[in-house]
Amino acid sequence: MKRFTIRVNGDRRTVEADPEMPLLWVLRDRLGLTGTKYGCGVGVCGACTVLRDGRAVRSCQIPVREASSGRFTTIEGLSRNGSHPCQRAWIEEDVAQCGFCQPGMILETAALLEQKSRPSDADIDRALGEHVCRCGSYPRVRRAVHAAARLSAGVL
Amino acid sequence: MNATRRDMLRMGLLAGAALVIPIRVDALPASTPRKKRDLKPAPDPERFRHRQWISIDATGKVTLVVHKSEMGQGVRTSLPMILAEELEADWTKVEVVQAEPGPDFPDMGTSGSDAVESSWLPLRQAGASARVLLIEAAARAWGVPASSCRAESGSVRHDASGRGVPFGSLVAAASRLPVPAEAPLKSPADFRLIGSRVRRIDGPAIVAGAAVYGLDVRVPGMLRAAIARCPVPGGRAVSCDASAAKKIAGVREVVEVPSGIAVVAEDTWTAFAGRDALRIVWDEGGNATHDTATYWSRLETAFEKDAHVTRSEGDARGALEDSGVKRIDAEYRFPFQAHATVETMNATAVVSPGRAEIWAGTQSPNGLQARVAKLLAIPASSVRVHVPLLGGGFGRRIGYDYAIEAVEVARAVGRPVQVVWSRQDDMRHDLYQPASITRLSGGVDARGRVAGWWHRLSTFHLTLFGPLDVNDPDTWADSPWGGLDNPYAIPALRVEYAVQSSPVPTGAWRAVDYPPTVFARESFVDELAFAAGRDPVDLRRELLAGPNPTIGKRVIDRSRILRVLDLAAEKSAWGSALPAASGQRRGRGIACNIYHGRTVAAQVAEVTVSADGRVKVDRIVCAFDCGRVINRAGLESQIESGIIWGLAPSLFTRITFRAGRVEQGTYRDFPVPRLPDSPRIEIHLVEGADRPSGAGEQPVPPVAPAIANAVFAATGRRVRTLPIRPEDLIA
Repeated sequence: MKRFTIRVNGDRRTVEADPEMPLLWVLRDRLGLTGTKYGCGVGVCGACTVLRDGRAVRSCQIPVREASSGRFTTIEGLSRNGSHPCQRAWIEEDVAQCGFCQPGMILETAALLEQKSRPSDADIDRALGEHVCRCGSYPRVRRAVHAAARLSAGVL
Repeated sequence: MNATRRDMLRMGLLAGAALVIPIRVDALPASTPRKKRDLKPAPDPERFRHRQWISIDATGKVTLVVHKSEMGQGVRTSLPMILAEELEADWTKVEVVQAEPGPDFPDMGTSGSDAVESSWLPLRQAGASARVLLIEAAARAWGVPASSCRAESGSVRHDASGRGVPFGSLVAAASRLPVPAEAPLKSPADFRLIGSRVRRIDGPAIVAGAAVYGLDVRVPGMLRAAIARCPVPGGRAVSCDASAAKKIAGVREVVEVPSGIAVVAEDTWTAFAGRDALRIVWDEGGNATHDTATYWSRLETAFEKDAHVTRSEGDARGALEDSGVKRIDAEYRFPFQAHATVETMNATAVVSPGRAEIWAGTQSPNGLQARVAKLLAIPASSVRVHVPLLGGGFGRRIGYDYAIEAVEVARAVGRPVQVVWSRQDDMRHDLYQPASITRLSGGVDARGRVAGWWHRLSTFHLTLFGPLDVNDPDTWADSPWGGLDNPYAIPALRVEYAVQSSPVPTGAWRAVDYPPTVFARESFVDELAFAAGRDPVDLRRELLAGPNPTIGKRVIDRSRILRVLDLAAEKSAWGSALPAASGQRRGRGIACNIYHGRTVAAQVAEVTVSADGRVKVDRIVCAFDCGRVINRAGLESQIESGIIWGLAPSLFTRITFRAGRVEQGTYRDFPVPRLPDSPRIEIHLVEGADRPSGAGEQPVPPVAPAIANAVFAATGRRVRTLPIRPEDLIA
């Protein structure tokens, strides 16, 4: 066990953990941030996606010893009140079914829109192409990404 | 499928024990942040409680209870809509809480796509009688006849005097009134919520990361457990060296439970690490030498020895031998499939002497409660079951094996425990959709009419429902779904069902028998159409003419199937040319189905097959009739969901075995569809019945045959084994 300080959702949080423990489990089991989901543990499903300095990363692939640098944002910290354009767009398009994979997709989209304010369908395929949703929310995810882009631009 | 199996699906394996848990409608953590403030059971006398479903407080807040498990199908929105419609509640003031199993909620089982269908009348009646009481309370206060008052949007109004009073002001008076035996239901013409588009009620919590799934349950002092199970289903541990595991900081205990060896730790990751450090000698049991080929060969040999004739009209085999009939034989294969819900199996349990409390995302809360009561030899009333949100169900969570594990481990260590399955655990210890082989023989006469049809299915019994007893006709008489209830008018038709015990755990997978049987049946209709030189839609139209047959207890309304078939054909511009770029092959295929005599669906798939054989589904046009629509937005989600679910077995996924072990372990080797695979989906609804029927499973069965038929149209190659392999379609 070692002591680590990580910056998440604007706070500095100190945890004792095995250096190899993935950030995912630090968030979920040590910091009570259960909005970040476990889906595969091997970085292929996207459920555990968080933002690191605004870029989407798979928290199951980051050992806590490598998490001291950078500022992390989880779904709980994306906005104070669900007002982020992605969250509003997700509600607008009624995307979620079971909803379990949605935090990861929302954060991936937030990162995408930082890079590309008006993503094309091909951009969306590239950015969200790894995320697994067994409910098949994909058609609505695509619509919501476009809607979020419009909301971000203040077009709606 | 037989009545028993169907009933069990319907009842969620309900054990029927006498249950006496007092219901506290506001006892459960609600899942939206807004609701978290209202967790305390309010001992407020100013509250109108009506039956087990409705509670209204003095502020006018309406609390509605949902007794079905929410797994993405939208029941926490659609079921309260039914109550709120009849109650005339203001939807913006409605809050939803999840029921607990007990005498008030003996049927929380969520399966067979029947949550809305089975709740439709009871919920309407509950809402209507509450409305009658509130109106009566207002009428008495005003001294006017109740018949001159009406309820609307959370208030009772007396139009003649222009007076109105909100429900919240009526709760005390309404509580004192006798409950009417019967209350008039609203006329559908007056429905405001039902049939509209309502966004799912848990949406805000979901996008804020505040929605609570089983994996998010936190109980003070709880430990996490990971269980090493024998890699070969049916095997067991002979010995275990846990010394390395116990040296890991954070590992608390290693205990044996019926399903394997559990490592109990302070956090999930350490439990996984500890589990991986166990050195276990397994007795792998009789399955250890089995490969996928073993199971296919068992299915092949069962056609002769295990077959039951479940439907026979005319002399099908004789008709196929007629010299004037062109006979076609074909064999279709559907492999084992996993559910692979994104939330892996998990449950949390607190076991103390004489009591148990469990949090489990299960589709069978009552069954779980009864099973735990039996396991611990305590009354069911001493077992509380909480149902958080399910991160996907699809039939997997009709089983509750993972929750029993949590109870076993919690009992063994005397602490609250959350059992968590890794993705590999989940993929390798599923209750699989069994592999099956369908053999179809059919004949067309000189005029291109289908003269005979012989449908044989060989499959494995679903272990979820207990051991197979072939001497009990209920285990096979109503099977197979999709073959038995073949809706087509064919003069000579024979259906056989060969079922044998399953060597691996099997269960209910979205639409159960229908995906394999409808894949075969609808592909074969196309094969016969091609053999007869006929258009597949025209042939189906001919086969759907004539009076509606009764098969078992089901009446097959052919006109409803015909209507969705025609609609799908029309909206997809069936028969028109599909432009293809050079090097591409494109085609359209159609398929239709009726699910247990009720919901009907027809789909047209448009595919592009590239030179290297890869199939891209470009578009699916779906015509769908599940009768009365409750939530239009939710229904469309379910249809999209079912279609994308159907892509997986059509193009991407299968479970295979080697040395008795499941070979797949992640979404890498079980590559479920991703966003770029998602076709354009167009939905056209028909409301062909006054009552609602299900929509969770019903969109799935036509997907595979529509795609396979489209692939045939594009390439001339008939695919009879799923998933479709690119190497079979190289130009």
